[in-house]
Amino acid sequence: MMTLLPTGPLYLLVLIPVTVAAFGFFLPRRQYQRLLLLTNVVVAYLAVATFIEVRWGADIIELVAQWREGVAIKLVADQYSGPMVLLTGLFFLGTYVFSTRADYMDKVFLFLFMLLQSAIFGMFLSGDIFNIYVLLELGMLTIAILIMYKKEKQAVYDAMLYLMMNFIAMAFFLLGIGYLYRITGVLDLAMLEQRLALLESPRSAIVPYAMILTAVALKSALWPLFGWLPRAHGAPSAPGIVSAILSGIQVKVGVYLLVRLSGVFSPIIDAAPFFAAIGFITSVVGFMLAVAQKDIKLILAYHTVSQVGLIVFGINLGPDVAFWGGMYHVINHALFKGLLFLTAGVIIDQYGTRYYSEIRGVLRRMPIVGLAALAGVLGITGAPFFNGSISKYFIQQGLQGNLGELGLYIINFGTILSFVKYSTILFGAPSPDAKPARDPYIAVVSAAFGLAILAGGIFGGPAVALIYGPEYAAVGAFGLDKMIMFALTLALGVAVYRWIVLRIGDFLTTIREFKFNFNQVTVFLTSFFVVLLAYAYFAV
Amino acid sequence: MALLEYLDVSDLAVGLFFIGLYGAMTQRNIIKTVMSVGIMDLAAVVFFMLANYQDGAGPPISGTPVDRMADPVPQALMITAIVIGVSVVAMCLAMFMRVAYRYGTADWNILIRRLDK
Repeated sequence: MMTLLPTGPLYLLVLIPVTVAAFGFFLPRRQYQRLLLLTNVVVAYLAVATFIEVRWGADIIELVAQWREGVAIKLVADQYSGPMVLLTGLFFLGTYVFSTRADYMDKVFLFLFMLLQSAIFGMFLSGDIFNIYVLLELGMLTIAILIMYKKEKQAVYDAMLYLMMNFIAMAFFLLGIGYLYRITGVLDLAMLEQRLALLESPRSAIVPYAMILTAVALKSALWPLFGWLPRAHGAPSAPGIVSAILSGIQVKVGVYLLVRLSGVFSPIIDAAPFFAAIGFITSVVGFMLAVAQKDIKLILAYHTVSQVGLIVFGINLGPDVAFWGGMYHVINHALFKGLLFLTAGVIIDQYGTRYYSEIRGVLRRMPIVGLAALAGVLGITGAPFFNGSISKYFIQQGLQGNLGELGLYIINFGTILSFVKYSTILFGAPSPDAKPARDPYIAVVSAAFGLAILAGGIFGGPAVALIYGPEYAAVGAFGLDKMIMFALTLALGVAVYRWIVLRIGDFLTTIREFKFNFNQVTVFLTSFFVVLLAYAYFAV
Repeated sequence: MALLEYLDVSDLAVGLFFIGLYGAMTQRNIIKTVMSVGIMDLAAVVFFMLANYQDGAGPPISGTPVDRMADPVPQALMITAIVIGVSVVAMCLAMFMRVAYRYGTADWNILIRRLDK
């Protein structure tokens, strides 16, 4: 047993960011920013302390204001939420420091940023389904404003589509909670699980199940419900830091809730095969759309869809090693996609364009940002010694010898293909009018993220054991066969990119410009609900 | 009429929810879709309010015998949900105003065609 760091009650994590941001709002901008930096440091410390307590001590269950269990607001930090709290605390601190000198950091932006931080901590810690609902709505409103924050290129449509889609999903979620309350009489997640197991007719729970899980599937952007995600994460008016948080943390809330709520319903319904299949389809569709994009932020955003699909695929496969591989990929994806979005924001500001064909030579013009972006690319493509290779290796371990292993190769190939396209911006000679940017904050944070990606790869096995607990050997991920496999896939990716992708520009333009309108997206949502309901009906 | 007697108010709330969903799937007018989604949200609230309905129960405040009190949990929660619903609808309408000024349309289909490529 280690000596544990002193930590405060859990509700501080949820309350400190929003309270300090609200009461400090009268300060001048510069002091306000410093105050919030201090707050972020404190919150990050609390997050680390909470994680250590959960990991080497015991789970923390906290009933706010001494009400009895079942009535009180309950906060839980356990094996699943502890690592997410750790990730959120450090990630917000990192992105905050990264954009210290950015021009969009005015007071309202800072306030919304802290509000979102509170909401996300609350979502991870809440042990009560209604609080999750409230916090999801709060996060949704905050994000809708943050997406259209840079006023000069306002993307109101993106934000409106995001808000409307999520609002419908939350209506489903609320009705599902109502059903659950009617049949069980509780809202507490742990008690729900106990009472669902005692139901006389398990089929009475399939309607709330389908409603809640449809909403969660939309939140985690699964096929065919991901239409809002790329538009929101890649919106031109969203600063890089917002995109980084949305892709790094916010979309993981959906994945986390999928794990949590599937667990609550596990005594009666097991839809893991369904979600594994959906995850695979999401992943394939995601990278195909990513390859079709020209805007670097949209390449990254569609690729987030693909990676979330991979995570959901991994955690629903069944074997434990694949589950923990998926959970580790949640953290890895937050690191490399967060880094890629942050650097993409800087690159777009430097070059004044968002199109990959107009950006060249990032490595020469901005060496540190370029190197960090390269580390991100290597991580995401699963290059040996980078963290993506470890989580993909674990997922593959769970698949040995069956058809899914082929699926994993397809996903990996798609990732490499879309990042061959993305990394063309890194190489080549920059235009002569280059004015190199010197911003120590950007350099330090980029380097820290890049090193974390590398460390997460080299110490892959121990990292999973450290963060989550279960110990698996990751030695196989460093094997010669893996490196040869990666090199071959990379060569194939480059070849396919040179000789196929570049020659079907018209076709890609068609894909890129094809959009579903709101009514069609709602039809998809309804269909997803009906299919899930039917699946649950027969799976019970 | 046997079917009607069989139904209770919470079934009607579920019906209202799906009417709202139908509106969101079929209406092209943006304001009508916002209204439809608002209806879905309120239908969920009505359903929740009736979750533990008992005939003849009194309001859960002092003065009512404890065994005759209505379940206070849905009422407390739904006040929150109503407030949230109102603010999200207001936000949707505010965004619609920006969209209408900029693109000059209230139709989802025309809007998509007018978006900057």
